[in-house]
Amino acid sequence: MSESKTLDISRRAFLSGAGAAAVGAATLVTPGVSQAATSDVPRWGMVMDLRRCIGCRACTVACKSENDVSLGRFRAVITEKTTGTFPNTKKTFLPLMCNHCEGNKKDGVPPCVKACPEYPGKRAKFTTPDGQKITYRTGATYKRPDGLILIDKEKCIGCGKCIDACPYGVRSFDPFVKAGGDPTKQAADKCDMCAHRVDNGLEPSCVNTCQGRARIFGDLNNPNSEISKLVKKHNLAQDANVLLPDKGTDPHVYYIDPDNLLHAIYTERKKKKLDHFVDQIT
Amino acid sequence: MKQFNRRDFVKLAAATGTVMVTGLSTSQNALAGDVRLQEGGRDFSPITKKERVAIPTTCWQCVTRDSMIGYVEDGRVVKLEGHPDSIRTLGKLCAKGQAGINHVYFPDRILYPMQRVGKRGEGKWKRISWDDALDLMASKMKPLLDNGTPELFMYQYGRHKGSQSSIMHDFMDAFGSQTIGTHTSVCEGPKWVGQESLWGGMYDNWDYDHTDFVVNFGSNQFETHTNHIPTSQRLIRAMVDRNVPLYTFDVRLSNTAAKSTEWVPINVGMDGLVMLSMVNVIMNEGLFRRDHLQYMRVSPDYHATDDEKIDAIKQHVAKFTPEFASEKSGVPADKIRMIARGYAKANAACLIGYRGTVMHYHGADQERAAMLLSAITNNLDRKGGRVMGVGASWKHPSSPKAKLQKGLDITNGFPGEAAFPTHQCSQQNLPMIKDGRNGRPQVYWSSCNNQAFINGNNNEAEAILADEKLIPFYVNTNIVYDESSQYADLILPDVTYLERWDYEDMVSPTGVGEYSIRQPLIKPLGEARDQGEVFYGLAQRLGIELAYKTKEEYVRKSCEMTPGVKEAGGFEYMKKHGVWHDKKAKPNYGFYEAKVDVSGDGVILDKKTGVYWDYKKAGVSKTEAESKGYLGVEGAKKAYVAQNINGTPRLAYPPNTSFTKSGLLDFYSDNFAAKGFPAFPTYTPIPEHQKMDKDDLHLTTYKVAVHTHSRTAHCKWLSEIKHDNPAWINSKTAAARGIKDGDSIKVKSDIGEITTTAHVTEGIIPGIIAISHHFGRKHSGIYGSGKKSPTTVTASSDPDAKNMWWDKHGTHPNSIIPNSSDPISGGQRWMDTVVKVSKA
Repeated sequence: MSESKTLDISRRAFLSGAGAAAVGAATLVTPGVSQAATSDVPRWGMVMDLRRCIGCRACTVACKSENDVSLGRFRAVITEKTTGTFPNTKKTFLPLMCNHCEGNKKDGVPPCVKACPEYPGKRAKFTTPDGQKITYRTGATYKRPDGLILIDKEKCIGCGKCIDACPYGVRSFDPFVKAGGDPTKQAADKCDMCAHRVDNGLEPSCVNTCQGRARIFGDLNNPNSEISKLVKKHNLAQDANVLLPDKGTDPHVYYIDPDNLLHAIYTERKKKKLDHFVDQIT
Repeated sequence: MKQFNRRDFVKLAAATGTVMVTGLSTSQNALAGDVRLQEGGRDFSPITKKERVAIPTTCWQCVTRDSMIGYVEDGRVVKLEGHPDSIRTLGKLCAKGQAGINHVYFPDRILYPMQRVGKRGEGKWKRISWDDALDLMASKMKPLLDNGTPELFMYQYGRHKGSQSSIMHDFMDAFGSQTIGTHTSVCEGPKWVGQESLWGGMYDNWDYDHTDFVVNFGSNQFETHTNHIPTSQRLIRAMVDRNVPLYTFDVRLSNTAAKSTEWVPINVGMDGLVMLSMVNVIMNEGLFRRDHLQYMRVSPDYHATDDEKIDAIKQHVAKFTPEFASEKSGVPADKIRMIARGYAKANAACLIGYRGTVMHYHGADQERAAMLLSAITNNLDRKGGRVMGVGASWKHPSSPKAKLQKGLDITNGFPGEAAFPTHQCSQQNLPMIKDGRNGRPQVYWSSCNNQAFINGNNNEAEAILADEKLIPFYVNTNIVYDESSQYADLILPDVTYLERWDYEDMVSPTGVGEYSIRQPLIKPLGEARDQGEVFYGLAQRLGIELAYKTKEEYVRKSCEMTPGVKEAGGFEYMKKHGVWHDKKAKPNYGFYEAKVDVSGDGVILDKKTGVYWDYKKAGVSKTEAESKGYLGVEGAKKAYVAQNINGTPRLAYPPNTSFTKSGLLDFYSDNFAAKGFPAFPTYTPIPEHQKMDKDDLHLTTYKVAVHTHSRTAHCKWLSEIKHDNPAWINSKTAAARGIKDGDSIKVKSDIGEITTTAHVTEGIIPGIIAISHHFGRKHSGIYGSGKKSPTTVTASSDPDAKNMWWDKHGTHPNSIIPNSSDPISGGQRWMDTVVKVSKA
C-alpha cells in the first residue's frame, strides 16, 4: 500500500494524543475505536462496508448539518441502483465521498492538487503525534501529511480547475464562501473528513451517525487500528475495492464488497457534470 | 430532477448576494495521531474550530424519541447527534432526526399568533398578541363550561407521548372534555388491536441482539419504524456480525427488502394467509414447540390438553396449505416451506410486521396470525423473539379534575363501523362532525395533526374544515402553515421540540426501560410557546386550577416524583445527563411465567376460565361472583389476579386493555366471535379485491427513509433528497398500458383521480402501483410546497432558500383513497384501494 511512505519519524510511543482526546469528554464518553499507542504520522482513511449500508441517508444529512453545506450540492452522498429483472431484482447502496487520494505513484500528488494553480505554495509544518515537524507544500488544494486532502479557502482563487480535475466529481463551489484569492469568485469545497473533528480526537460526523457502522475511519499506518485490520482481513488494498483504480489516484476510501457491486453500479462522472453527486431517492 | 452541471454551479456561485463569509482560514492544529478517537459527545465548529456547547435532549421527529445531543454555537442549534450514553440509540440518530434543526430555522416558520381576517380559507391573517389570542379562545371556551357542555371543546392531536400526552390529558380532565381525537388508526391501530385481543397489551419489540432468524411481513424496518434507530441498527448488525437471515415479504423492493437475505414478493393483502400456511407447515411437520401451548386458548374450551390444542390448531389451518397460499399470494410453495422451517428450527426467531400487513380489511386479524406464528414456536417474550416492549414509567403532577366529564362520541367511527376501535377511528372524526348525528364541537383545537393531509379523502377533510357551519371555531397549533391551518380562525405558534421541555418513555430494545428528557437547546424563536404553557394561560382565564405553571415545572416535578430518576438526582441529573436507566435491571423475558400469590382475601378461582380474580375489587358479592363467573361480571377484568396454568397460579397475559378475556392468549376469541368476526386467525378475502376488473390495479402507499408522513416537507435537507413521488409500476404492468418511465399517468379510484409520473421499475410486483404518501403538499412553506406561506409575519429569511433547486413537489395519493375502516379495529385501510391507471 502506498501509504507506507518513507517518513523519517521515529516510532516512539505516543501518549499525549490519547490524553488530549479525553479532555472535555465529561459524561458523554463512549469509547471509540481503540488503538494501540504506537505509530508515526497517521494516514487517515475510510472503509465503507457495503454489507452494512442500508441507504438511510443519515450520513448525508449529518454532513450537511456538520458543515452547513448549502442546498444544491453535497459533500457526501449515497447512490442507489436497482438491477435485475422481477422477481430477481436487487437494489444497492453505494456511499460516495472524497477519496482523499494519495496521488499517482510517480509524484504522490492527487489530480485535484495538481490542478490547483496555487499549488505548490508556501511551506507549512505539520506536527506529528510524537512532536516531529513535517514540512509540506500548501496550496489552495493540498495534501496534508496525514493524508487529508484539504482546501484553503483563503488561498482559493475560485478557478474551478480542481472541480474539473477530480475524476470522482466530489467538489463544488460554496455559494456562501468567497474565494480569498479572488473575492469576485466562490471558493471550492468538498469533504475534508471533518478535519476539525479529527484534529480534536473525534470521528468524522458521517461515521458518528452511521447506524449500520458501515463507515470505519482510522489510521491506516497503525497496524492495530480497526481500519488496518479490516483492510488486511478483506484484502481491500487492491483495485477491486476502490473507485476508478485505473485513474492512478490511489484512493483511500476502501469498500468491503463481497457481492462485487462496486464496479457494477459506479459510473464515472461525465465531464463537467456533477449530477451523479446529488443524493436522490427515487 | 434538475440536471446539475458545472455551469449551474458557476451560476450559483455568482449569486453573491448571499455570501456571508470571505475566505476561511484552514489553519490546522493537527492533533491527529495515535489517539483513541471518540465517536461522539463533542463537536467543534469547522469555521472557528471552537468547541460547540453540548446539551443532552430527546428527538421528536418521529415517535421513536431517540435520546440525542444538541450542539449550539453562538445561540444557534447547528448539529444533532445520537446520545452516546443511551442504551436505546447507542449514539445514533437518523437522517430525519438530524434534520430537526430545519424545523427551527425554515423561512416560513410561524412565530406569532395569527388571527384570520378574511373569509375562512382565504389566507388573510393579522398578527395578534398572546393575550388577545388566549382571551379569544377563553371567550369561546368559557360558555361551554358555563353551559355544562365541556364536551363541545375538542382536542385533536398526533404524536403526543410522554409528558406532552399527560399534560394534555391533565388539562382536558381539568376542563372536563373527553372529546379527544388521536391519529393511531391511520398509523398502525389494527396491529395494536390484534395484539390487545391476545396478550392484553401492546407494543411488540423485536430482540435482534439475540435472535437467530427474522421473517418480515410488510415492515420497512430499515427506513422507518416506530422504534427505528434502536431496532434497525441492531438488525443490520445481527445480519452482518452473526449471519442472521432476514426474509422480507413485501409488494415492493423497499430498502429493507433490498438489504434482506431475500426479498419475497407477495401479492397485496396476502401476508396473513402466508403466515397461516407457515403455521400449517410448522404444525404438520412437527416443528412446533409445546412450551407455550399452556398459555394458549385455541378453541372454546379453556381446559383443553396440549394434544387437543395441537389438533385444533392443525384443524384451523388445514386448508391453508403452502399450495393454497401460493396460488393467491404468488409466493412459491417451496419458498413458504423453506422459510417456515428455518423460522421454526431457529433457536430464537422474530416474526415482524407492520403497515403492509395490518392496514387492510381485517388487518387486526393478520396481526393475530403473526402472534400465532410467534406462540407456536415459543418466541413470544422470549430472548431473541417477539417481546413485550419495556418503556419508562414516569410519574407526573395532576391537577384537580372537573366534576363534569363528558365527551362526544365522534372519535370511534360511524355506528357499526368498527367493533374494537381501541385506538379510535380518527380518519372519520371530520366526517362524523359533518354528519352531525353525535354532535359537533363548538371549539376544535388541533395540534400536530394535519387532518386535511393525513387522512383518506383529504379533499373532503379540507371542505369540512373550511365550513364554519360545521366547525364554528378552529384553533390550529403549528410551526408551519399547512393544509389544515389554512382554515383556522386562530393559529398559535408552537415551539419546536428543540425549544421545549418534556419527559419521554419510548420502549427500549434491551428489555430495560430508559428514561429521557427533552430540554430546550435555545430559547423559543419569536413568540413560539409550549402547549403546556398555553394550557396554563387558558386555565387562568377559565378559572381552572392547574398543578403547574410552566412545562419546565411540570417536567421538574415529574423528575422529582419518578422512582429511580428521583434517587439518581432528579431534574438536575436529567438536565445534565439526558438519560437514566436502572443499571441493575435485567430484561424480564417470559413475564407471563411469574408465579402469583392468590391467597389474598377475595381472590377466587373461576372454574370456567381458570382465572383467579378478586371479586371484592370487582365490587360484587361472593355469591354474585360465583353465580355470574369472571366473564359474567362487568369490569371483572380489572380484578384479574392470575391464571391457573396446570395447577400453578401465574401472571400469564392479563387483560390490560378493553378486551375482556382470561389470562390465556385468546387465539380463539369470544370477543371476535360475538361480533361476528373469525374467532381464530384466518384468511378473509378483501371485498374490493374480489370484484376487480381485468385492468384494475391495487394502490399501496409507503414511507421513505428521509420523511415522516406529513411533518417534514419543510425540512430542506430532507426535501432536497426526496421531494417528488413518482408512482412505482412494474415494467410489464406499465407496458400493458403503453406507459414508459417518466410518462405522465392518471390514477383513478372510485372517489377521484390524480395525475402523476410513472417510475417503471423491476422493484415491484405486477398488478399494482405504489405511491409514497409524503408529498403533494398544498402548503408546507417554500421547501415543502414551493410556495411561501401567506402568514404575514414569518421567520427571518434563510439565505439558503436562494439555493433551492427543486421545483417538483409530488402528488398526494390520499385524495383518491377513501376513508374506509377495518371493521374489526377501525384502522384506515390504506392498502385496499383499487385503481385504474392510464397514460395521461
